[in-house]
Amino acid sequence: MCPGQHLPPPDSGRRRFLSGAITAIQGAIGATLAFLLGGAVVAPAFGTRRTSWWPAVAIDDLPDNEPTPITIRVTREDGYSQVADRQIVFLVKTGASDVTALSSTCTHLGCRVSWDADDEMLKCPCHGGVFDRTGAVRAGPPPAPLEKLATRREGDRILVQL
Amino acid sequence: MTRLRGAFDWLDSRTGFRGIRGHLLEEPIPAGVGWWFVTGSILLFLLGVQLVTGVVLTMYYVPSPEHAYDSVRYVEDRLPLGWIVRALHFFGASFIVVAAVLHMLRVVAFGSYKKPREVTWMTGVILLLIILAFALTGYLLPWDQKAYWATTVTINIARTSPFVGEQIAGLMRGGADLGALTLLRWYAAHVFLLPAALIGFVAAHLYLMRRHGISGPIAAAAGEPKPFYPYQAFKDTVASALVFALLVTFVFTFEVPLDPIADPSDANYVPRPEWYFLSLFEMLKYFPGPLEPVATLVIPGLAVAGLLLLPFLDRGPERHLLRRRLVAAAFVLAGTVVVSLTYLGLQDSPVHADPSDWGPLSLAGREFIGDERCTTCHRMGGAANPMDQTRLRRDPEWLLAHIADPETIAPGTRKPPPGGMREAMARSIVSYLQKVRAGGNAPEPAGETRTAVLVLGAWCGSCHIIDGEGVEQGPDLTNAGKEHDAKWLHEWISDPAAVDELADMPPFNDKLTPEELNAIANYLAARK
Repeated sequence: MCPGQHLPPPDSGRRRFLSGAITAIQGAIGATLAFLLGGAVVAPAFGTRRTSWWPAVAIDDLPDNEPTPITIRVTREDGYSQVADRQIVFLVKTGASDVTALSSTCTHLGCRVSWDADDEMLKCPCHGGVFDRTGAVRAGPPPAPLEKLATRREGDRILVQL
Repeated sequence: MTRLRGAFDWLDSRTGFRGIRGHLLEEPIPAGVGWWFVTGSILLFLLGVQLVTGVVLTMYYVPSPEHAYDSVRYVEDRLPLGWIVRALHFFGASFIVVAAVLHMLRVVAFGSYKKPREVTWMTGVILLLIILAFALTGYLLPWDQKAYWATTVTINIARTSPFVGEQIAGLMRGGADLGALTLLRWYAAHVFLLPAALIGFVAAHLYLMRRHGISGPIAAAAGEPKPFYPYQAFKDTVASALVFALLVTFVFTFEVPLDPIADPSDANYVPRPEWYFLSLFEMLKYFPGPLEPVATLVIPGLAVAGLLLLPFLDRGPERHLLRRRLVAAAFVLAGTVVVSLTYLGLQDSPVHADPSDWGPLSLAGREFIGDERCTTCHRMGGAANPMDQTRLRRDPEWLLAHIADPETIAPGTRKPPPGGMREAMARSIVSYLQKVRAGGNAPEPAGETRTAVLVLGAWCGSCHIIDGEGVEQGPDLTNAGKEHDAKWLHEWISDPAAVDELADMPPFNDKLTPEELNAIANYLAARK
């Protein structure tokens, strides 16, 4: 059977009203569901990571003016669970009581940099990014210097904000 | 606007989508088809809501006994809007069962299953079974007490099948015991197999409905047929909107239950299935022992076979229900039995303790975690997670051993915190950890109540139960005030032997201060 074959000519005013009402009601239901479900999908994507101060090392254990990789144990929320991450930061003792903390994450594409003691440079193994001991870019594709992390002292211990 | 129309014209010339849309929407609907015929659309709408809410839930759910419960807790407590999504899915399941039964009753009442629509009806019966299978597989997923125990019962019912019972139970478990493999295969069924079957059978059902046209009113009404869109579509849309409004009302009115995490060692949990399986559950009571397969297999099997074969049992052209007395009587009888059994089952349902109700022991435990013996390691940047962020992964025996002697977990690797804890305090901390995991908000006791709570947590929980927590050695203290007043309790707790020579409870007048003794006596006396 061909659709609409036996149908009478539409009474266009009533038809238009009903069509409009259907669109409005279905639109309202759709928008409600889209808000509730979309919210549950999108909201966690924009959650910011909470930072706190983590104990790193005693200041006397750091050599002068040489980036030293320190592993910090960071517990954080990971969705429904709590995980303990081991994060590496480079601590550089720049004075008797001054310490700079550099993130070990390359600013190019996020690989892990390491200290090359011979060249006295922080090098990224992925695409040849090179940073000096202040974190400034010396060669390769990284668009920005290594991120500096906030530090403070508590007694003789250095705390890093992560 | 013209440009948009141009784009649609182009798309139509390449795909012919307007023709398909026209074919789908312009089905001629006979005159006199009223609001009775909206039940199918309501069902389709609700299935759509289940599908989209289900997809969102799979983004957060983890199908493993280790993580399932915590991931559901996360959706419930911490994911923005998550509790609404879970509630829509939870109540949506019940709504679908109701809508499916109403749709079936409408079809029966109008005799719509008769020639040539026999196969349409049979696909509908299969869809009803698929919907029930969705419900059954769905409630194992949160891995809470109800999930674990109701599924244990379900699998044991399958075991009563003749000849192949053990094999069916094994297939359902996926292994020798109910565990990780069971959860995974029920999850796979719930999110892959059943949706595929559902979509296939819904497509077949709709195709057959269109092939034979809608059955329409019993007595042909005067008037020309009208297209489905917008005339019948308007009724369907309004009905779906009303059902959706009711569903949202349920979401904001009732709480979605989540029991404590599944505990295979719990001998006190009384499992009850969801309300739509309660009649089957209740029926088991009337067929004890060797008669059990009558309730588990014979009666449900006959009911399904009777439904499937209905169009062949009731073959006459007569559609009016009152002239099909046998069919009407059979459905009224079956309906009465199901409703009565469900009612009896509801009367008999045990009241489960709300896992977010904090008893005095868990409240005391919350204060004990500030103890130096805990915070030496359990602190930010310490060797272990802070206590309030600790997720309970170990069994209570391990936790008790660890709390009583923290060094047992890693002998010699770190400086042990000074001293162990008394068993009562350790038990209170375990109670606290269980409550924290169950996600409840704790009240803040103050003054004398707080003093009493701390005394209970520090001393009483190793021998007494209160609010379902503690050890069942001495009397349950939950309603201690019913039998004794504050004066008697004060004397008894101070020195039980002075009240009764045979008392085997130790005296506490040397352990508690006078204020503490007053506080605990008053607190217990007030619990009536």
